[in-house]
Amino acid sequence: MNERTNTRGLKVTNLVNNFGPYLLAIVASFLASGIFIALMGFNVPKAYATILFTSFRTPNGFVQTLLKFVPLLLQALAFTIPLAAGKFNIGGEGQLIVGAIGATAVGILFSDLPLPLLLLLVLISGILFGCLWAAIPAWLLYQFNINEILTTVMMNFVSFSLIDYVATEIWRDPMAGHPTTIPIGTGGELPLIVSRPPLHSGIILVIAIAIAVYIYTNRTSAGYELVATGSNPRASQVYGINVRRMFLLSLILGGALAGLSGAIEVAGVQHRLIEGLQSNYLLLGIIIGLIAKGNNLTVPFVAFFIAVLEVGASALQRTMMIPGEMVFIVEALILLFVLLSDVVRRR
Amino acid sequence: MKGVKKSFGTVVALDDVNFELNSKEINGLLGGNGAGKTTLMNILYGLYKPDAGEIYLHGERVEIQSPKDAIKHRIGMVHQHFLQIESYTVTENIVLGTPLKNRPTLNLAEQEEKITDLSEKFGLAVNPRALIGELPIGIRQKVEILKAIYRGVKILILDEPTTNLTPQEVDFLFNSLRAMVEEGMSVVFITHKLREALSVCDRISVLRDGRYVFSIHRDEATEEALVRGMVGERLDIDKSLLFSKPESIREIEPTSVEFVEPVCKERVVLNVEGLHVRDEAGGIPIIRDCSFHVCEKEIFGIAGVAGNGQQELVESLIGIRPVAQGRVLINDTNVADVETRKLLEKGVTYIPEDRLNDGFLPTANVAQNLILGYHNQAPYSKRGFLDWKAIFRAAEKLIREYTIMTPSAQEVAANLSGGNIQRVMLARAFSRPSRLLIAHNPTRGLDIQSTDFVYTKLLERKDEGMAILLISEDLDELLRLCDRIATIYRGEIVGVLERSKFDRYEIGRMMSGVKTHERTN
Repeated sequence: MNERTNTRGLKVTNLVNNFGPYLLAIVASFLASGIFIALMGFNVPKAYATILFTSFRTPNGFVQTLLKFVPLLLQALAFTIPLAAGKFNIGGEGQLIVGAIGATAVGILFSDLPLPLLLLLVLISGILFGCLWAAIPAWLLYQFNINEILTTVMMNFVSFSLIDYVATEIWRDPMAGHPTTIPIGTGGELPLIVSRPPLHSGIILVIAIAIAVYIYTNRTSAGYELVATGSNPRASQVYGINVRRMFLLSLILGGALAGLSGAIEVAGVQHRLIEGLQSNYLLLGIIIGLIAKGNNLTVPFVAFFIAVLEVGASALQRTMMIPGEMVFIVEALILLFVLLSDVVRRR
Repeated sequence: MKGVKKSFGTVVALDDVNFELNSKEINGLLGGNGAGKTTLMNILYGLYKPDAGEIYLHGERVEIQSPKDAIKHRIGMVHQHFLQIESYTVTENIVLGTPLKNRPTLNLAEQEEKITDLSEKFGLAVNPRALIGELPIGIRQKVEILKAIYRGVKILILDEPTTNLTPQEVDFLFNSLRAMVEEGMSVVFITHKLREALSVCDRISVLRDGRYVFSIHRDEATEEALVRGMVGERLDIDKSLLFSKPESIREIEPTSVEFVEPVCKERVVLNVEGLHVRDEAGGIPIIRDCSFHVCEKEIFGIAGVAGNGQQELVESLIGIRPVAQGRVLINDTNVADVETRKLLEKGVTYIPEDRLNDGFLPTANVAQNLILGYHNQAPYSKRGFLDWKAIFRAAEKLIREYTIMTPSAQEVAANLSGGNIQRVMLARAFSRPSRLLIAHNPTRGLDIQSTDFVYTKLLERKDEGMAILLISEDLDELLRLCDRIATIYRGEIVGVLERSKFDRYEIGRMMSGVKTHERTN
């Protein structure tokens, strides 16, 4: 009996220990950014309400939030999976773009194929292209021990030129003013689960993926090897884990998810390739991964919260004329305070 | 030194310790690992600042803020790890940091002469022109002692000076210490080895868990009293293996030892044939033509001074360093260059020397640490999925059995104390049913109770039929536990002795490269 209450008591303190710092960080960052909003001469409580509640006031707001949530979650996981092995994938942006290119190419080339078949090809092609784009830095790391941070970032720049070439030369849509390709076949579009406002079924897919990633990293022997490698590669090697293979695998897996996020943007949202579709998902994905401290169970929740903030940001700009960058400050401050809380706790 | 206190964070390293050193004596500072011996002397040498306490020198109170102050007060210390510049000569290393008259020309003839004088006087034979990097550990230690004497110290502190010495070198060191005392110096000799304390010291001071226990004159000291002082009331000495008298070690005339290749009656588990291992770049050979075998129900020891290829040998045996040439047979199958994972599955267990770097996952929890290496074997893993229930059940059992002090199996392992981390590593190694255990310095850094525990476990496992390869730099440990001892010198096995022929000095000779059969010829 006693023991049972003890473990329950332990769980409550665990909960406080785990979520307390987050709550504090959020409150602190809102307070700090409130000072800036007040200095700029805006109504602070109204700004807070806009940032936090736009997502939940209207169905449209909520759908917008979910549509942001999809790529953010995938980008965050593309960062945290290699992070678990101690490697930094800063190339999610390039992997997203190349994945989108791969998806578009298949969607245009086989535009006559019917729905489930073409959609499947589009998504798989996106994943494979993302893998490919991550495989280059991963192989350089595996073979020559070249720092993956450097190479993954560089691969982003290459992808910018690549998308420009595809959208202005190969499949250019002459009617569009912005570099854009012609649309993919309708068989390659993700079906809607809600038609008004339109919400595509990619949301179900990414939630399933987030669960699968959690199971992989926390419940399987293979995932254990990933986490062990990140904790101490030398010890992992001594105890029979091929750590270089883990580095390679984790980066390619990250690339697969980033590539998929590109394919979903094409198949679910744009239905064509548009330059700039990567938005600032990479940066936000990294922020999400870091705020979640690489914990794959926390990542989806943090991703959703950041999506709420992002939707709030555009509303802030629209209705109150406060620059949306304000929300960037909030996000950055949250990260800062979460990291700070770690330092404070260690003291 | 009076009432010295020092704590690191929440750990109290020294609590109200008194220590007295008379002139012209060798004072043995005795205690187990973590007793605070080195910390106390580091305070005297000015490396640490005490939280409380006073230091008196010839009856006068002194403040020692830094090693510089210490040398000014003519106190010198030789640490376990030497601070020497490998590309400098002996003379250059010794004069480094002392005022020189002829700086621009760096003509060191005068200094060289002084060093030669000193080394002759104290029996510390070194060639002053030799390059440090080319000298063996034993000589480098002499250089370190000369460095202190050259600076004119009157009090010399030696921290575990015998760790890397052969028995012969230990005898020479003791003679030198005697000579120094006769010249009017005083020596503090830090050690955890009873035998050494009793053989060279005039007085022995015992520390335990950061407290001063007693100080006793050698003539009044009995082994039993010292042991009791070191371990307190917690350990049953009669059952202790660490303090047991190794009866089977006989002192025999070295010339009567003949070089025989011993055979074992049981089945051979590990058989190493003509093993060659090269360094990382694949160039310089480190292990040369090593052959030996380990049988069931046997503890096979490898003695040797650190850095003679022990690390490379074990790394090649467990498959994390490529084998350049030769065969490694486990149960008659060649496993040279077989993946480590496969070896673990075959029933090989490994206790690495550097347990923190080579065996420990700091950010993972205790349970995760306890399954490292076995995470893809039953019962922890089922069809690729981890069975956390089974893992935690096993972890909790091990935590109880090995008295690992942790709030729970879910505690982040980095929060554990050093001793408990060691216990996690040992629990992991001993918890698996395995056929071959490779243990490299398994008791390094362990306190007395844990050392005893490891000895008990090793002997238990041996009786159960396990083959154990024990690589150790602690000759006493090997003499106590092993059935056969091989000696490694510069990557070669110099000779193998059976238990009935064990002889400390014979092994000592082999540790410095003299082959048994060469001697008998």
